Amino acid sequence: MKKKSCRPYLYLAPSIAVIGLIVIFPILYTGYISLTNMNIYHWFHPEFVGLQNYAKAIFVFDSGFLSALLRTVLWTGINMVLQMVVAYIIAVLLNTEGLRAHKFYKTILMFPWAMPGYVSILLWKMGMFNNEYGLLNQWLGKLGLNGVRWLDGNVSAFLSCTMVNLWLALPFMIMIIDGALQSVDKSYYESATLDGAGFFTKLGKITIPLVRPVIAPAVVITIFTTFKQFDIVYLLTQQQGSKTGADIHTVITYTYEKAFVTNNYGYSAAVSVLIFLLLILFSMFTNKELKEGYR
Amino acid sequence: MKYRKRIGLFFLNIFFILICLLCLIPVLYALGISLNGHNDLLSSNVSLIPQNVTFDNYRCVLFEKPFFLWFKNSLILSAFTVLISILVAVPGAYALSRKRFRGRKMILNLLILLNAFPAILSMFAVYRILKPLGLINSFTGLILIYIGTMAIFGLWNMKGYFDTIPEEIEEAGEIDGAGDFQLIWKIVLPLARPSIIVTAVMILIYVWNEYIFAVTFITSSGKYTLAAGLYALQATDYTRNWPVFSAASLLVSIPVLVIFFCIQRYMTSGLTAGGVKE
Repeated sequence: MKKKSCRPYLYLAPSIAVIGLIVIFPILYTGYISLTNMNIYHWFHPEFVGLQNYAKAIFVFDSGFLSALLRTVLWTGINMVLQMVVAYIIAVLLNTEGLRAHKFYKTILMFPWAMPGYVSILLWKMGMFNNEYGLLNQWLGKLGLNGVRWLDGNVSAFLSCTMVNLWLALPFMIMIIDGALQSVDKSYYESATLDGAGFFTKLGKITIPLVRPVIAPAVVITIFTTFKQFDIVYLLTQQQGSKTGADIHTVITYTYEKAFVTNNYGYSAAVSVLIFLLLILFSMFTNKELKEGYR
Repeated sequence: MKYRKRIGLFFLNIFFILICLLCLIPVLYALGISLNGHNDLLSSNVSLIPQNVTFDNYRCVLFEKPFFLWFKNSLILSAFTVLISILVAVPGAYALSRKRFRGRKMILNLLILLNAFPAILSMFAVYRILKPLGLINSFTGLILIYIGTMAIFGLWNMKGYFDTIPEEIEEAGEIDGAGDFQLIWKIVLPLARPSIIVTAVMILIYVWNEYIFAVTFITSSGKYTLAAGLYALQATDYTRNWPVFSAASLLVSIPVLVIFFCIQRYMTSGLTAGGVKE
């Protein structure tokens, strides 16, 4: 009997060992680094500086952390709303009765999901947004308009990133909402129509309540991925050697830059810890959906 | 009424054709550019490309850059990562799904939490930890990182699927005297195939597409993966040579595209993370 009780731990040991080494220990170590002044000059013997790095991130407004955080929240909000609305409209239209090519369209719409993310982003950067030979500016040129330097200004770069994120993230959302819509019993709509319910009544009284529990976990997970999005902002505007001049750091690219570009490891670690605490807080609020989502 | 409906469907089809085009445009444009030896739109960098020959951009990618070497590296890395991750995660997921033991709840909650943590944030700490172990610029180090990052996903995803397999089948096997190993090998694995396939493919695609850890932890370009190589090239050589870059991008993407569309039918059942249940 005693042998049996230790077997689960044996099975879990390899996973725990590797997660411990690569994920947990580095997080704890990051916590330690955040309390020191480790940087390029203090690589081997960093000094303990207490909460100084945290104070700098939170109370010195010029540090850029708070504005990056605000921008990230804005980024997550705008992207989630756009994604949900557009994906919902497309999914509903896909489920129109009599649309024979439904499967075909859906397969093509999944394409951006299948492409390697970094390739798509770079193709957008070089093919669509490029100032001279990008497709967008070519179109503008044909219309007789001046080209826009898409990735240079803060606002236009932010919008460009949103566009790319929408393009990348829609397939997953469409798949989720499409699946949820198909799980709704059609007879509800029939009887609602008989009772004289209009489009919005049906939407508010039938579709949304029935679809919500099915898509909630996926939505929460997408909020996390949008918040954590690194590749789009980094590859489009912040790449080392080809910065475009737009400052649209999200918290993740901000932390990356503090560690790997300006080599301010202690400060960067403090910011990492702050972000982690925020994510813990948020996942406590959404614990139920997350568990559902990963089940 | 019927007539009106038909017109509606007609416009709906036009709408979807437009949306699909919009969806494919960056890729179609890249394809066009990559096949086009001379393009008057590219006057600024046309001198770099041999004119008039259609597949020259592809030849350039394949033979003038260490494409095959990087391809081989990507294959090695993803094969080892997938194999070891599955070997590590299957028993773990089985224990989490079937056994009740102290600390189980805590482990599950911890996994959710860790999954929320963006790996990039602790990248520097990982670097400092692997450096004294001599695991920088080595495949072993990179494979370890990938396994550690994907083990969380693997555990959750497969545990979730194991939960949906009725326990009675195993109980029957247990009565017949089968041990845990036999139970997993003979009963659970065959039943859980969709989930294992999707998990393996997701890990494979992750390794294939991962570039930021690869360029940070691998310092010699001879050990780059395809993703790292392509990333490094676009930052240097290809910045001004968009046709060659498009050719390279498409070549790198093809294996992933093929695999993705092959397993698409398993996607909904194998990836419960979507929240879509059968």
